[in-house]
Amino acid sequence: MNKKIYSICFALWLLFCLFPQSVQASEADYRQGIKALTENKYQEALYYFEQAISGDPDNARYANDYRQAALKAKDFERPLQFFQKALAEHPNSANLHLNFGFAHVDKIPVAGSITQVILANDALTEFTKAIEIQPTWIGYYTRGESYLFWPKIFNRASMGVADLEKAMEMQKKGPRHSYHVKVYIALGDGYWKTDQLEKAKAMWQAGLKEFPDNASLKGRISLQGDELKNLIEAGFDPAKRVNTDLSELWEN
Amino acid sequence: MERCGPLKMLKSRLELISSAFLLLALVGTTAGFSPPQSAPQGQRWFEDVTHKAGINYRHHSRHFNNEFSEIMQGYTKLGASVAVADYNGDGFEDIFVTDSCATCKNHLYRNNGDFTFTDVAEEAGVAAGNDEENASAGALWLDFNNDGRPDLFVVRFGHSILYENLGNGKFRDVAKAAGLDSYLNAIKAIAFDYDNDGYVDLFIGCYFQNISLFHPTTSRFFPESFETANNGGGVFVYHNNGDGTFTDVTQKVGIRTSGWTLDLGHGDANNDGWEDLYVANDFGTDRFFLNNGNGTFTDKTETAVGFDTKKGMNADWGDYDNDGLLDIYVTNITDDYMREGNFLWHNNGNLTFTDVSRETGTYDTGWGWGGKFFDYDNDGWLDLYVVNGWVSAGPESYVPDVFAMVTKPGIDLADARNWPPMGNKSLSGYEKKKLFHNEGGHFFKDEAARHGLDSTRDGRGIAVADFDNDGRLDLFVTNADDEPFLYRNILPTGAHWIGFLLEGTKSNRSAIGAQVRITAGQKTYLRYVNGGNGFGGQSTTRVHLGLGQNTRIESVEISWPSGLKQKLPGLPIDHWYQVREGQSTKNIHPWKPKR
Repeated sequence: MNKKIYSICFALWLLFCLFPQSVQASEADYRQGIKALTENKYQEALYYFEQAISGDPDNARYANDYRQAALKAKDFERPLQFFQKALAEHPNSANLHLNFGFAHVDKIPVAGSITQVILANDALTEFTKAIEIQPTWIGYYTRGESYLFWPKIFNRASMGVADLEKAMEMQKKGPRHSYHVKVYIALGDGYWKTDQLEKAKAMWQAGLKEFPDNASLKGRISLQGDELKNLIEAGFDPAKRVNTDLSELWEN
Repeated sequence: MERCGPLKMLKSRLELISSAFLLLALVGTTAGFSPPQSAPQGQRWFEDVTHKAGINYRHHSRHFNNEFSEIMQGYTKLGASVAVADYNGDGFEDIFVTDSCATCKNHLYRNNGDFTFTDVAEEAGVAAGNDEENASAGALWLDFNNDGRPDLFVVRFGHSILYENLGNGKFRDVAKAAGLDSYLNAIKAIAFDYDNDGYVDLFIGCYFQNISLFHPTTSRFFPESFETANNGGGVFVYHNNGDGTFTDVTQKVGIRTSGWTLDLGHGDANNDGWEDLYVANDFGTDRFFLNNGNGTFTDKTETAVGFDTKKGMNADWGDYDNDGLLDIYVTNITDDYMREGNFLWHNNGNLTFTDVSRETGTYDTGWGWGGKFFDYDNDGWLDLYVVNGWVSAGPESYVPDVFAMVTKPGIDLADARNWPPMGNKSLSGYEKKKLFHNEGGHFFKDEAARHGLDSTRDGRGIAVADFDNDGRLDLFVTNADDEPFLYRNILPTGAHWIGFLLEGTKSNRSAIGAQVRITAGQKTYLRYVNGGNGFGGQSTTRVHLGLGQNTRIESVEISWPSGLKQKLPGLPIDHWYQVREGQSTKNIHPWKPKR
């Protein structure tokens, strides 16, 4: 009996002490990373962020801020290598897959036209793995938006619409967040890209009811024909950097 | 008779008015009268006279008899080229056009002087450019022996041919004697005098590396990368020894590149009197070589234009903004699936260039090929004509096949066996050509549809020349596996012009590299003689300047490659002039063709 009680106590002690310690260590590394970043010591910041992620691979904030630091350092290769290595150790981390995908996206604007396609394709593979492990709003929104970047010839816009409709469904079930406006814009763009102009307009209108000050929605509703086409297509220019900073998710 | 009185009076009044106009027009060309400018918007200024001119033989790509034939055939679609020169000295520019199939003949179209042409290739001895071991890919007129007669270099996948112009309407192959008979997968040649010794040298751009395309001994002869390939044919430089022979000086002069060359363009980037070189490479970085003025070049790519990963296909030089510095236009691939964009390299004057293609509206021309600066409306600003389109075939697209290949892990792109067969699929096909009108040196407006120049054939090369010597620049355009176009410029009279046929004495006789600075309306314009710039097409070596509303020119300065600067007085406008290097400026009169 005493032995059993001892075992339970030991397990509780482990849970109480060891796990939080690892998380605590990661948080300490993360703070070191932030400090280094504010001092523009990019290599140091990247090192600490990597330590933080290794200790807590499912922490979205760590992985996100790591990528943003790499962008500031203009080091597009290091996050790719790091996430690949981290995924070898934690293959079932949806967060790592998602951020590995974003690391591919982050490199696209500095890549040649064919490498852009390869990076975009690899990013989609990682986003899909993230969804398979954990179907989340951010997963569906991200993959859905990514599909919309593909040229018409690949017929991927309809897949983007399907993902974005799922994201819309999810966001309607929970509390309203400011970032939900993104799905209204993207889903409308998806309808436009699949030649459903009326549905596109309706989606942007619905978005404007929820977010009446949003300039992107206003722009889309006010324009027609070639002007609307130019506005939408400008948003899908692979030469332009896509904002992959997720901090809005925990700040709002 | 009486009843005819008023009519007679009217007639004589009309005659009087006509005479007055004629007098004014004559005075106007020398003394500041401004005739009404151009035609109303919407009117066409080009007429397609291809059939009327008898110049409509189509191009045929090659069918290869080897295991790579499916993918190789496309590459002889590059061989629809054109080169312009007055080979028989009658004052009218003639046209040489290449074909590529094994049994197909090349064409030498003699200009009859009335905007009709006669194919005299057979009798001239220049028709046989294709056989089982060689495929014509380009052409260049050059006066390699300074005898005043343009000779002809036929660029081939195989052994290129140098035809010496014998002056009696006939040519003979002197490639072997000249030391130019090596096997090269050559696609482009330009000629300029890089060391200013008075003879034009030969620069040959090669696409595939130096293996027989007809009997390849390896399957690894395709580009190793889509963006940084360095396993192409590169550039070869042949120094003209002045005795009818050439020496390969590629290494000696410092032109070290092994890219997939599609075009070469020369111009004097820093106005130091020495011609520099831009190399447009497919599948990788273009190159910019600065002429050091001592018989060598330095690769200044990194500082001049930076390292790109695009599919360079054209390199034409021209001063589009009239700032006295030559700029460069390079075509790349711009389509839904590949948004490379072209380069309009604005010359900053310090041996650096800035791409202004987006700002100027010249960024997107689809899958671009030849692009040429020329002033089609004689307004004094260089416009741009750009042809495009890779393969216009069936409704299915080849794009997914290419992307399936490139996304395959560990794919060896250099191995031709890994490239999917194209079959009857299209790739960037049926694209409309672009005629960019230069709007004051700031931006360009596409006027191709207005002037009927927006064909959807797979365009390749462009030659610009004034085929009827009327001061309006005409166009000859080649199309892969299709008929060419001859577009006659029918711009209404109004805008003025002046033109020069330059002849070097100390400089190379065809005056390649000579710069002409013409001052009119207190503005100085730079034009120059180039030796074949632009993919698939060599334009005239005559120098043309549109003067717009300017009715007089203040001065002309010619900077010859020898270093001589020759000043001419203000000449009457709306004429061509023949100027010999160093000749007395008192004896310069309007030039007229012999016929």
